[in-house]
Amino acid sequence: MPPPKVVIANQIRVLRFNHREMTQQDLAERIGVSRQTVNAIEGGKYFPSLEVAFRIAQVFGKPLDEVFQCVMSPQ
Amino acid sequence: MGASFEEKSVWVQLTCTVLALGAYFAVAGVMLWSGITALPAYVPLFIVSIVVMVILLIAGHLIAVLSGKAEGRDERDRLIEWKAESYSSWLLGVGVLTAVTAMIFGIENVWIAHLLLLTLFLSEVMAFTLRIVYYRRGV
Repeated sequence: MPPPKVVIANQIRVLRFNHREMTQQDLAERIGVSRQTVNAIEGGKYFPSLEVAFRIAQVFGKPLDEVFQCVMSPQ
Repeated sequence: MGASFEEKSVWVQLTCTVLALGAYFAVAGVMLWSGITALPAYVPLFIVSIVVMVILLIAGHLIAVLSGKAEGRDERDRLIEWKAESYSSWLLGVGVLTAVTAMIFGIENVWIAHLLLLTLFLSEVMAFTLRIVYYRRGV
């Protein structure tokens, strides 16, 4: 039986809104990637490295699992 | 979502490569078809194609820089490039192996040179196309 598919969800959009509507550009500059990469992460089109994931969590002052969640779904 | 400078650069490289080397292969194909098998006859055409490609690349990148902020490459750009190269490099490998086989069978140099050039061209076009797909659809 194949392992369940892992989908990584994130709360970046909500966290940005709660941080005085921080723009994608602001977040991108603080974590050292392009605005398009932040957009791709938010939209689930790109899963960042652990380093960038921790940087994002650090910017919002949250633990990693409050920013990214692992959702298991059947194949 | 507006394209990043890196994505614009890939579009520019794809367009310039297809235009310049595509034109080269169109003309060289006609020359080969008409029986010109002396390799030096293709050198001026090749040089002109490369010069045109370089000029187009410079112009395209200038437009890309002027149309928005040129950020540096990040981990997503590097992953996309690596993944596209890993899926397209087999084409060049096939070309090299076919060229070696052709040498063993005594095929004329002009055919071998163009086979190598064609597979390099196709490999690059495939890599650029895959990079654009990964930028648009996600990686």
